[in-house]
Amino acid sequence: MGRIVLDTVTKSFGESQVIPPLDLTIEDGEFAVFVGPSGCGKSTLLRLIAGLEDTTSGKILIDGDDATQVPPSKRGLAMVFQSYALYPHMSVRKNIAFPMRMAKLDQSEIDARVEAAAKSLNLVDYLEQKPGQLSGGQRQRVAIGRAIVREPAAFLFDEPLSNLDAALRVGMRMEILELHKKLNTTMIYVTHDQVEAMTMADKIVVLRAGHIEQVGSPLELYRAPRNLFVAGFIGSPTMNLMTGAIAAEHDATTIGIRPEHISVSATEGPWKGRVGVSEHLGSDTFFHIHDTGFADAITVRADGEVDFKYGDTIHLTPRADVIHRFDAQGLRIA
Amino acid sequence: MSDRKIPRLLQTPAVVLLLIWMLIPLGMTLYFSFIRYVLNNLRRPEWTTPSLSNWRGFGNYEFVLNSKDFLLAIQNSLFIVGSILFLTVILGVLIAVLINKAFPGQGIVRVLLISPFFVMPAVNAVLWINMILDPVLGLQGLAVDAINSVIDGLQAAPLVGGFFSLWPDFQPISFRATQTSALAVIIMVTWQWTPFAVLIFMTSLQSEDQQQKEAAILDGAGAWSQFRFLTLPHLARPIAIVVMIQAIFHLSLYAEIEIVSRGNGNKNLPYLIGEFANNNIGAASATGIFAVILANIVAIFLLRMIGKTLME
Ligand SMILES: Nc1ncnc2c1ncn2[C@@H]1O[C@H](COP(=O)(O)OP(=O)(O)OP(=O)(O)O)[C@@H](O)[C@H]1O
Ligand SMILES: [Mg+2]
Repeated sequence: MGRIVLDTVTKSFGESQVIPPLDLTIEDGEFAVFVGPSGCGKSTLLRLIAGLEDTTSGKILIDGDDATQVPPSKRGLAMVFQSYALYPHMSVRKNIAFPMRMAKLDQSEIDARVEAAAKSLNLVDYLEQKPGQLSGGQRQRVAIGRAIVREPAAFLFDEPLSNLDAALRVGMRMEILELHKKLNTTMIYVTHDQVEAMTMADKIVVLRAGHIEQVGSPLELYRAPRNLFVAGFIGSPTMNLMTGAIAAEHDATTIGIRPEHISVSATEGPWKGRVGVSEHLGSDTFFHIHDTGFADAITVRADGEVDFKYGDTIHLTPRADVIHRFDAQGLRIA
Repeated sequence: MSDRKIPRLLQTPAVVLLLIWMLIPLGMTLYFSFIRYVLNNLRRPEWTTPSLSNWRGFGNYEFVLNSKDFLLAIQNSLFIVGSILFLTVILGVLIAVLINKAFPGQGIVRVLLISPFFVMPAVNAVLWINMILDPVLGLQGLAVDAINSVIDGLQAAPLVGGFFSLWPDFQPISFRATQTSALAVIIMVTWQWTPFAVLIFMTSLQSEDQQQKEAAILDGAGAWSQFRFLTLPHLARPIAIVVMIQAIFHLSLYAEIEIVSRGNGNKNLPYLIGEFANNNIGAASATGIFAVILANIVAIFLLRMIGKTLME
């Protein structure tokens, strides 16, 4: 069980209000991801839920009970930190056993749970080593192991993968997802990597300066971003935003179209431009198009086979049904 | 090959100088410890100049071993050093942990805490023995007087008087006495060296990882468990350093012993050497060799015990 509700929670450090009044519900068993630019308050929010910071006002409910004044260790939440925060003087076994030792569980019970966790996380061969002797990925698994054995109501992850290299990150992402499917426990995951957010989340919470900009499933956010900020934040490469006459044609102040929703041709299409830099990923190629007359540069995604040279003339055709329209306040026009 | 030769060559002068620095005094001490050599002897004037013809073999060593103060000096050396190490480490850790938290006036408190370390050992000893520990004029005497007069007052009081009249009059302790002079030395050196330990432990505490602490809090560790399982292991290395440095320093304590009791009931090896050196250089040298042996035993013991922590 782990339904977490934030009820008009605020947080100030001295004079500066980092989290303005904020409401949020995370359902039991949900994988929720907080995304947002650096400094927007993601970690602060997570630490408020964990109890490592006191709320300035508002209430935090865990499974319906008011947990605002409950000390961190009694909230039944486990946290995995970006720096792993393993105990350097203890072996892997003692690290994983630590929360159970604090909870004064039976030694036989502790041993059994440590073995089980080590087996599921591929740590059996490393149980007697110190964290300093492990690789980054192994350390992260130890940190996750230490969280699992407590059988918490919810897991809190604060950018757990950002110290790992790209390949390992993809692997660990899958392991965490698998863990979520297996345990079916609520997980709250903080990242500023929108790919992680899109691939992992049941529910994405987009934050800016402590405000929730939008909450929804990855596809909801992708298909119907509520405002310009979310539109620019979700999706890679980012959505092309255009203002002026072309937007007015669609009765909007700003229109947006994603790079993957524009097709290219050497000869025909309503928009015309000059090819700038192109990024070849193999499967896809991103072209940056200049001199279209309505934006500095437009990014389009084309198939990897398509070949245009720097300086070539190119014609573009946007898909009319997926043009996003925004009003003067930057809000989506339905 | 020449890659290695050049640095060696460049190191040579320093190494040779160091060897001379160590070997000449050690060699002279060894030489003197095997001959009869006194500063003043009217009957045997030939003993007053060091010469091989005065060879005495292990005679000086026997003389030292059989002298009544030798065992006491060894015991006292170890007792004083051990007690000081024990007290400074415990007090140092406690104080460092206490003042590591942010509180108003932190800066001043830290400067005050460090200041005993800047007092000269002889001044430290004079201050303590005369102004604090003195049974009549020192703070100790005044405090005992005050307590006694309070008890006197209470004995006259109604109700509780009966209970307090069972209490004895407290006697101030004379720290210059045979039985207690070592304690006085331990107290004053601990006072002086605790700041050193605090300073080293404090720098170490400031490098402690805060996320580990937060992880431990979430894992259900209370203040004591955090201290026991995180802070104390984190301090293992600085504790080893403090123990090493202090062991070396305190084996050669002298000024405090001289000032407290002139060695009365409380000698360590350096003090014994000093006493012999008033006339009998041969015996003083033999004691010096014993001191070298003792220091080496202590060093090996310490390296075995805590060297591993340092190497990690
Ligand atoms: N202990 C603190 N005291 C004062 N200000 C703080 C404190 N912790 C965080 N802040 C401020 O709160 C804001 C949000 O910080 P937070 O760490 O939550 O950002 P974040 O979204 O996690 O950023 P990042 O992606 O860089 O980790 C920042 O402006 C930061 O300066
Ligand atoms: Mg953060």
